[in-house]
Formats: sequence, structure tokens, C-alpha cells
Amino acid sequence: MGDGVTRRDALIAAGAVGAVGAGALGAAGVIGLVSDDDAVPPEALRARVVARAPADDPAAAAWQQANEVVVPLLAQKIAPPFLDAAGVAELRVRALHDGSGLALRLEWEDDSVDDLDGVGRYHDAVAVMLPTRAATTPPPITMGGGGTPVHILQWRATWQRDVDSRGKTGVDQIYPRVVHDVMPDDVLPPETAALYWVGRAAGNPLSLATRETPVEQVVAEGFGTTTHLPSTAARGRGTNEDGRWRVALGVPLEREGAGEPLQPGQTWHAAFAVWLGDRQNRGGRKHYANWIPLHLEERA
Amino acid sequence: MPRVHNWQLGRDMDYPYQGERPERQFTMIMDTNKCIACQSCTIACKSTWTWGKGQEYMLWNNIETKPFGFYPTGWDVNVLDLLSEQAWNGDTYAGKTLFEAAPAGERVLGWTADEADWSYPNIGEDEATGSADATPYLPDKPHSMMWMYYLQRICNHCTYPACVAACPREAIYKRPEDGVVLVDQTRCRGYQECLTACPYKKTMFNLETRVTEKCIGCYPKLEQGLQTQCTTACIGRLRLTNYLSRPDAVDPRKPADFLVHVRKIALPLYPQLGLEPNVYYIPPVHVPADYLTQMFGPGVERAVEMYNAAKDDPELLGLLMLFGSTERIIDTFDVRDGVARGYDEQGAEIVAVPLREPTFVRPLEFATEVNGEPVTGYRHNT
Repeated sequence: MGDGVTRRDALIAAGAVGAVGAGALGAAGVIGLVSDDDAVPPEALRARVVARAPADDPAAAAWQQANEVVVPLLAQKIAPPFLDAAGVAELRVRALHDGSGLALRLEWEDDSVDDLDGVGRYHDAVAVMLPTRAATTPPPITMGGGGTPVHILQWRATWQRDVDSRGKTGVDQIYPRVVHDVMPDDVLPPETAALYWVGRAAGNPLSLATRETPVEQVVAEGFGTTTHLPSTAARGRGTNEDGRWRVALGVPLEREGAGEPLQPGQTWHAAFAVWLGDRQNRGGRKHYANWIPLHLEERA
Repeated sequence: MPRVHNWQLGRDMDYPYQGERPERQFTMIMDTNKCIACQSCTIACKSTWTWGKGQEYMLWNNIETKPFGFYPTGWDVNVLDLLSEQAWNGDTYAGKTLFEAAPAGERVLGWTADEADWSYPNIGEDEATGSADATPYLPDKPHSMMWMYYLQRICNHCTYPACVAACPREAIYKRPEDGVVLVDQTRCRGYQECLTACPYKKTMFNLETRVTEKCIGCYPKLEQGLQTQCTTACIGRLRLTNYLSRPDAVDPRKPADFLVHVRKIALPLYPQLGLEPNVYYIPPVHVPADYLTQMFGPGVERAVEMYNAAKDDPELLGLLMLFGSTERIIDTFDVRDGVARGYDEQGAEIVAVPLREPTFVRPLEFATEVNGEPVTGYRHNT
């Protein structure tokens, strides 16, 4: 789908092809998710070519050149655990590319900034899901499926705070007046003390104290199969102003360990997820948006 | 949903995964009657495993006063309230388990403790309940007018863990060799679903590493044939780290099998929840049976009766005296000629404890000298 595709056009195209295999509508139909509202696929997201794709700047002027697509968000009720009720109705999405990298800007309403992880404290986050292979039919919306993997970029508010504060996002920030007794790093050699942060010592990327980027890349073949990619090539930045998160994120078109390159001139698909920390969203308790076509324009 | 057999309920039940019992099951037996809530176990655990930054609030082992003590606050009354009133039909559970009562979109009926709930581990400490005017139990004993007791709590290393059922990433697993339940520290992504699902509230979120941690059954010690830190630190000698055989392969020479399956004096904690928990409690003898039945299931009155008669029951008494007598895990035991003995897996004797310690009774006219002057009568060891 190229320029000028409207919701009406997409609907007609989908109807002509049939229930399966027509992009957004097809994917939704396969897993039986379609409600009346879902049956109208949003218009295609077009990534125009710019001099520099602003993957780390949600306020960049270049975003004005991108078309904005409003995608409806649904409470995840495909597989347990469900999200009981949606807390945000829509996500506003724009895309740009510069021939070497793809950038997206994601915007949603959330007047509560949740950027610390604690007991019963969950974070705000957003994710973009891309197929690993160019195909007319995207993988199942359920984070892919066996043999049809997906590539996911996730930005978390906690990771943004990790980056911005250089790792000051733990106990001392959750409880600013905390008083510590003797801690392992007070009395043990660093390599021994480090063993008391077991997740970190075991190499869990979620447990990193400092990180280069607030965006993690994963691949998955279905819910529950999220597998971390060691690449730190994904970039991003999110800010919350006026009760809205605006998050820019992006990856090189040559995706390291995550499938075929995103070629300009091709039409791919993108799907999205949003988490609201103050509504106890985490993991599968999330808002999701069905696949929409993502067209990477060729360099002019 | 697969059906699995839960022997504690006397019936099959729904569970999200196929049941596969470990070769043998790590277990701990707690004699609630001996606990003085000194928290030596708590400190032994804390100073071994959870003194790191991010683990401040964690007590993988805790002792709480029942009925008003909880860690986290309200852990058991909240889940009982959620599940609502259920019934036993004799030894068969006629009610719903937490898996069977799960609402649509959830795998387990659960609730989430908040920060404040985790903040008062000694809430209700030493608070008694009951009425001095109404003393229907043990009315001949003065301390029975009011009651409280101490409950020793670690992870139950359940046969059908709710944390395993709820984890969307299958990051929690039971070791096939000993049934210890562990969180894969490389796989957990910190969703905290297990914190909501575990009715015993024994999975905990590390505030620095952002992944879940829990009691590991001191598995590095188990692998050396040693009992856990909380067991060996217990000055009341009320704990026994042991292994439970599969229900169809019970061996009465094995301590846990003897107490749980043969004598049925050690009972599971809230078996009605359906997790087949593997910490077993000898119930307190001075507490109303209704309360104990709610907590430990049917069989409480029989267990109390048996415990009260233990002084005339050398086999049971001998085994109870082996509690806390050695750091090593006792594979089998016997009681002969007034001596209880514990053996290792090769059958070699680890420890021998007499049922009666030899005593010497000093005569009243015990003579000694102080500053060269003869003194008669009792003399304290000063």
C-alpha cells in the first residue's frame, strides 16, 4: 500500500482477498479477535525519507514531515494474564527513515509518570513489533508464532531513567529516606559483593545497573518466548509533558540478529503495545494494537 | 486444562501443566510446639542469602504469631477471603482450589500485597486471642484461656506451585532431582505475576535487579547432604530438613515419610488452596481445632492427640529427638534400646540420641567445703 491509501481502500482490499492473508484484517481474523471496530484497519504508516531519522528525539522538527496514524489500543485478552480494562484508547504513530535507520515516534495519554520498578510498582512502556521477514501476511499478533518470529523494540520509562540518571533507579530512589545497614559492597571485595545482585551476576539484561539505551530488542515466537538480543543498536528517548508520553525509538535498517533488512521501497507491517504502570500493566497485562502496514519510501 | 493428582486433597484437580513429581521432594517438618520465635532461623537465612541491597524487605524465612501475625500483612486471611468458604468431605476436599477458582484471564486466584503489607514483619507479635470467659479447650490448663502460637514459614516448594502456574515466561521451575522451586535468574523479566499468584507470598521482587527471588531451599547445602541454614540455626530444634518419597513409594524408615504419610502427625499448610505444599507442620496442641483445621486441613485433632501421647511412643519421640541433632540430612532412622539413630543414604550411622539423658540426683545431704568450712545441702553451680 502506498500513498493515498485510506481506511476505505484498505477495507475494500481486505475484502477482495478474503478473510486470511490481508495484513491487519487477516491477522486479526486468524485468531478470532475481530470486533466491529477492529475490522477497519488504520491507514498505512509511511516512513518518509529524511536526512537523519530522529530515533532519539521525540521533539525533532523532522517529525512534522511524517504522516500520523492513530491506532486503536485494546486490552490484551488473548492469553492469560489479561488486562481487565483499557486505560488508554489510542496511540499516535509516525515513522521516518534515512536510508540507514528507521525511527518511529509514539505518543499516548498518560498523566502518571511511572519510571521506578518496585514491589507492586510497574513502569510505563511502549513497544513496536516488526516481522523478521518481508511477507504480505504478518506473523500472528500474539508476538509471532512457531516458525514466524517477530522483532520487537521495547522502550521502558525505567530504562529511560536508568540512562538519564546513570543507574540511580534502585532502592535509594524508590525510598529516598532509606537508611541502609551494612551492605555486601561495604564489607566484601567488589567481585564477591556483586554476587548478591544475583540477576545481574547471572547476566540478566533486565538487571543491568547502567545501560546505554532505553530500548531493548527482542525476538519472539509467541507469547512468553521473548528472547533478549545482545545488540544495543536500538536507540530511543521518551519524555512526558502535558500528560502525554512522546517516545522516539529506532533501529538500523540492517537489523542485527533480527531478520531481513528493512528495505526502502518495501511495505512491512508494524504492531504496537502500551503499558500504563499506574494501572498495574506489565507483561501480558498490556494494551495492544493490531498490525498496520508500514511502508518505507524509497529515497527521492 | 491438565488434571493432576493432589494427595493432600484426596482427589484430582486442574493445573496448567502436566503433573510430574520429582524423584524425591525437598521438605521441611516444623514442630510448632517448640518454637519461641527467637528468629534465629530468620537471621540465619537473612545473613546467608538476603542481605544485599534491593533485598531489604525480604525474609525468605519468617516466624509470625498466629492468629494476628502475618508477613506480608494479611497473606492468609486475604486469600481465604477471596476463595470464600469451602468444604471438606471427610479427607476429600469438596471445594475449589486457587486454580479451579481462577477468574477468566487468570491462571490463579490471587491478590497483590503492596509495599506497606511487606513493611511489618513482626505485626501482631505475641498477641493472643480468645476469651478468658469462654475456654472450651483444655479447660484444666491455665494457659488455655488465651492462645497464640508461632508459625514458621519458608517457601513450601509446592508440588503444584502457583508461581510456576502464573509465570508467563516459564521462568520458574521445579528441580526434578529434589523438587526445589527456583526462579531462573536469567529468564525472569520482573512481571511480578508470581507475587500475585503465590498464596503464601514467598516470591519477592528484588528492587535493584528487578527480578524475582525466593527461598532456594539452601540447595548448595542440600547438594552436600546438609540441612538448611534455618534448620541448623534453630535453637528449639523444631525443624527437620528431609525428603519426601513419592506418595506411592512411602518408606516408613524415612523420617518425612514416617511423619507425613505413616503417622500423619505433620500436616500441610492450607492444603485446600491446592498447591500441595511441602512444608509440614506438627500442629500446636493448645489451639482450637476449628482454627487448626482451617490452617492444616482434616487430621488436626488426631495429630494433636498423637503428639500429646508422644512420651509413651518411643518411635515418634525418638524421631522428634533427632530433630536438630545433626547438620546432615537423615535418610533413614530407627529407635532401639532407648536410642534414636539417624543414618545416611549408605546406611552409615550419622547420629545417635538417647531418649532419656542420664541424670544424677544429688542427695540432700550433699557435702562440700567453702573457705575450708563444711557446707551441706543443695549448692547451685555458682
